[in-house]
Amino acid sequence: MTHGELQKFIGFLMKQGWKVFAPEKQPDEVRYVEVEDAAKVKLITEPPLHSFKRFLVPPEETLFEYKKDKMAEVKEAERQVIFGINPVDLKAVVMLNQIFERDPWYQEKMRRTLIIGQSLIPENVEQNIFQTEYEENILEHLQFDIFLEVQGKNYFVYTGSEEGQKVLEDFGYKNYEHIAYAGPIKEEGLDPIMVKYRDALRKNYKKEIWEKDLGTRCIECGKCTLICPTCFCFDIKDQPDLVGGGGVRKRTWGACFYNDFSEVAGGHKFLRTTAERIHFWYYHKFVRIPDQIQIMGCVGCGRCAKVCPVGINIFKVLAKL
Amino acid sequence: MKNPYQTESVKILKIEDEGSRSRIFTLAAPRGFKVKSGQFVEISLPGFGEAPISLCSDPSIKNKFEICVRKAGMVTGALHEMKKGEKVGIRGPYGRPFPVEIGKKRNLLLIAGGLGLEPLRPAIWEIVKNRSQYKKVQIFYGACDENDLLFMKNYDEWKKKIDFHITLDKPKGIKTPMACNTGVVTKLFDSVKLYDNPVAFLCGPPVMYKFVIKKLKELAFLDSDIFLSLERRMHCGLGVCNHCAVGSFFVCEDGPVFSWAELKDIKGAI
Ligand SMILES: Cc1cc2nc3c(=O)[nH]c(=O)nc-3n(C[C@H](O)[C@H](O)[C@H](O)COP(=O)(O)OP(=O)(O)OC[C@H]3O[C@@H](n4cnc5c(N)ncnc54)[C@H](O)[C@@H]3O)c2cc1C
Ligand code: SF4
Ligand code: SF4
Ligand code: FES
Repeated sequence: MTHGELQKFIGFLMKQGWKVFAPEKQPDEVRYVEVEDAAKVKLITEPPLHSFKRFLVPPEETLFEYKKDKMAEVKEAERQVIFGINPVDLKAVVMLNQIFERDPWYQEKMRRTLIIGQSLIPENVEQNIFQTEYEENILEHLQFDIFLEVQGKNYFVYTGSEEGQKVLEDFGYKNYEHIAYAGPIKEEGLDPIMVKYRDALRKNYKKEIWEKDLGTRCIECGKCTLICPTCFCFDIKDQPDLVGGGGVRKRTWGACFYNDFSEVAGGHKFLRTTAERIHFWYYHKFVRIPDQIQIMGCVGCGRCAKVCPVGINIFKVLAKL
Repeated sequence: MKNPYQTESVKILKIEDEGSRSRIFTLAAPRGFKVKSGQFVEISLPGFGEAPISLCSDPSIKNKFEICVRKAGMVTGALHEMKKGEKVGIRGPYGRPFPVEIGKKRNLLLIAGGLGLEPLRPAIWEIVKNRSQYKKVQIFYGACDENDLLFMKNYDEWKKKIDFHITLDKPKGIKTPMACNTGVVTKLFDSVKLYDNPVAFLCGPPVMYKFVIKKLKELAFLDSDIFLSLERRMHCGLGVCNHCAVGSFFVCEDGPVFSWAELKDIKGAI
């Protein structure tokens, strides 16, 4: 597929009623924006500051509307295209798909979402801390509808779903190859990087890291949780109308750094100190998620280090585990 | 796909005051609803939210069940304002219960602190109602004072079938249906002779666990013979939101009842 054809394809999707979100190079950062002019869509190696996450797991969403004691499920997913997700971030899509496997709102969003991946991965360790490479078998372990492999000025097109095939066919493009999803785990077995960090963190509790270093530096601002494509913890709360007995039940992003995350009746908190909270965050990504679904809860995008106001760098922390 | 967050509306059949700060709500049970000791439901009051609350009634009673709720904030406070005949939402029951069946092969020692008697009450009723099927059973129950004692009207029936001991931290000298000792719950180990090689079920606040487990270990209990129920903040009840995570476990789904063998190496579990 040539770049001209790709732009036509995006234009075609927009005419079909899809909302298309694509990364755009802005003066300071790369950001996702809603595409208004398909001719401006480009593939960019630098990943967007905010990942795809909010399109699938929004900061706030309405789960139910209620009137007195009747709870009515709300599903308001719009048809959307998330364009240009690189293989590092696609690993986060795979993880979220598993975490929210039985979640009706996530699944409805996924059903109405077209994911278009692309093969440009940053080489610098700041944005690719596990040095993920675009290698031969990578695609069968990722989930996407369409994937564009950059070949010089053109793209080779893969599909990963029937929906992806269908929109390409409707557009009139047939020269694609279909890849059957083989699950997140490679034939060779568990990811050795995952095993290494999981075992290290489970076996050793190093006071020097959690209490002496991170526990004294982290200011619990929660920026790392907001920016991380795999952070998905949430709160559920009701928002009543002031009059009339109706209202909504909402789900919002939660952050394990915040004071009330672990607080129970009577005011007791199970995560009391900063050290306990940051340890909980690492434990979730590098032990709990691997124990649950055998993949890492961190894809190595480096966003958390980039936004941390006190310079906590996950890459350096992992080296000390 | 059935929405796991969808609640079912059930009627409040009866409301009674219990102790000085709690109320027992008898709720109509949905079809197929079963009570197991240690399991809980999410009680949903639209406009206020949801709260995890243990099932506390006799498992042999069909079509209805009881919860005993202390007023602790918004949801529990709003529930206390409700009247007989009104409806509340529930989802569940959730969680892994106490392995009561073990009591058919081994002696049991139930240790409860404060509100911790609530989740153990279905186990007590199960044993009392089917006494011949179970081996010997002892209960150690600790509360702050007489006003905090729960389920007082059941004691006469229970103590006929179970070796039941109560201790109060700061007794006020108020008359109770049975004599109480004074001091924290571990003091009972000094005055009461334990049955032979029992399995222990614990439910109470974290401080109680620290002292009781230390005591049980001195008495050579195996880690796998000690079961305890953990409390954590909960939002989803389904093993997703991570509020209740302890090590690699979710208290809502893998617990709330764990064996000490599962928890002892997890920092901050108790
Ligand atoms: C497995 C389990 C079983 C329980 N069983 C009983 C029971 O049988 N009877 C009983 O009276 N209480 C029980 N509780 C405690 C009860 O869930 C809390 O008292 C209740 O959630 C407080 O909610 P609220 O809206 O009234 O308070 P809020 O106004 O929300 O807050 C008051 C306090 O409760 C804490 N809290 C808020 N939401 C939760 C939550 N979802 N889980 C835990 N704490 C929370 C807050 O941090 C705050 O300190 C149980 C808790 C758990 C985890
Ligand atoms: S923890 Fe940091 S590096 Fe890992 S996925 Fe999240 S933001 Fe990226
Ligand atoms: S961004 Fe840095 S300071 Fe803020 S919560 Fe995360 S680790 Fe702590
Ligand atoms: S309450 Fe959400 S994971 Fe347990």
